[in-house]
Amino acid sequence: MSDSDPPVVLIVEDEPDVAETYKLWLQEEYEVRMAQNGDEGLEMLNESVDVVLLDRMMPGLSGDEVLEQIREGDLSCRVAMVTAVEPDFDILEMGFDAYLSKPIRSAQLHETVENLLERSEYDSLLQEYYSLVEKQATLEATKSSAELAESDDYVELTDEIAAMKEDLSGALGGIEDDDDFIATLRGLDQGDEN
Amino acid sequence: MYDLSSVLDFDALRDVRPGSNILLSGPAMSGKERLAYDILADGARNGDGAVVVSTSDGAATIVSDFRELVPEVEESQLGVVDCRGEGGSDNGSVDGAYVHQVSSPGDLTGIGIGITKALEGLHNSGREQGRLALVSLSTMLTYTDKKTVFKFCHVLSSRLDSAGYIGVFTIDSGAHDEQTLQVIKQAFDGLIEIRDAEGGGREGRVLGLAGEPTPWQDI
Repeated sequence: MSDSDPPVVLIVEDEPDVAETYKLWLQEEYEVRMAQNGDEGLEMLNESVDVVLLDRMMPGLSGDEVLEQIREGDLSCRVAMVTAVEPDFDILEMGFDAYLSKPIRSAQLHETVENLLERSEYDSLLQEYYSLVEKQATLEATKSSAELAESDDYVELTDEIAAMKEDLSGALGGIEDDDDFIATLRGLDQGDEN
Repeated sequence: MYDLSSVLDFDALRDVRPGSNILLSGPAMSGKERLAYDILADGARNGDGAVVVSTSDGAATIVSDFRELVPEVEESQLGVVDCRGEGGSDNGSVDGAYVHQVSSPGDLTGIGIGITKALEGLHNSGREQGRLALVSLSTMLTYTDKKTVFKFCHVLSSRLDSAGYIGVFTIDSGAHDEQTLQVIKQAFDGLIEIRDAEGGGREGRVLGLAGEPTPWQDI
């Protein structure tokens, strides 16, 4: 996701009217793509998709099956499941990042997509933060404290880490609720193993 | 604020801010785990909730050990996340504690779900304060890499912060290279370091929680 391009939202929904409504709501801020069923949805999924709005009840491949395939693949997109019934606590175990109960209102849809994008941002900040910490750790493990105190690079790095720590806990508000917590950990579980 | 100084007599542990994550680092057999449990037990005696995330002991053992430390522990005051991957089907409740089995110490999502459910259980039974102990990060590091463990600690710390809990995590300082220890330390607000003293016994010091590192003292 570069700064100039809007984030990409893929709507997988078998009812054309419903899909069209979501598109109308979202198209000003996001690039919206539409798939009419699960198979088409999987075909349209690639690295450029940031958020998937996935209808759970569809003829053919169900939303649950699509989700399973997304999770088995290497895609980093966030998935909001759209359901007709209010799911209970067990949904945390199901592997999606957010859920929306039908009927959906515009504000609610916007908020969900924004949250999911924010969470991706948290992940990439955390990634960046880690790489700085790793550099600092390498220096601390190899240099004496006298050498460290004299190194401008080290001092700069330390400042940068402190600033980034603020960003992580401040800008995104941290991990406030259970959904965020589980979804972020799920991202780590699937993340790169370098 | 949490006062841990009755467990370990350091001024720096007198006012620990809710949301703080503390790393307990020391060599094998230096009593880190016992210390982590003592911190939980001390809170439980005052009504705090307690959550144990364990990679070594089974849920039933943890619950009975905890009852020995705190005989008056109430039903629904203790949550256990058993990550040994041997538990199988006895999810739910063991002797009044919330118990969750996780498939492996490397299953971060599973551990997160277990912690979430334990926190929810304690919250619903009116525990507004609490302490979480994770024993141990060293096992997790054998199942996954240090980058993932670092991020896990960061995300968990953020969750504990919003719950107003404190977290205590143990790591075996002799089991990892210096660089790994330095990385993991960065995910924590404070560090309690333990070492074997020259004339026998143990010494400890506290770093990062209040001002300068404390001098080493017998513990």
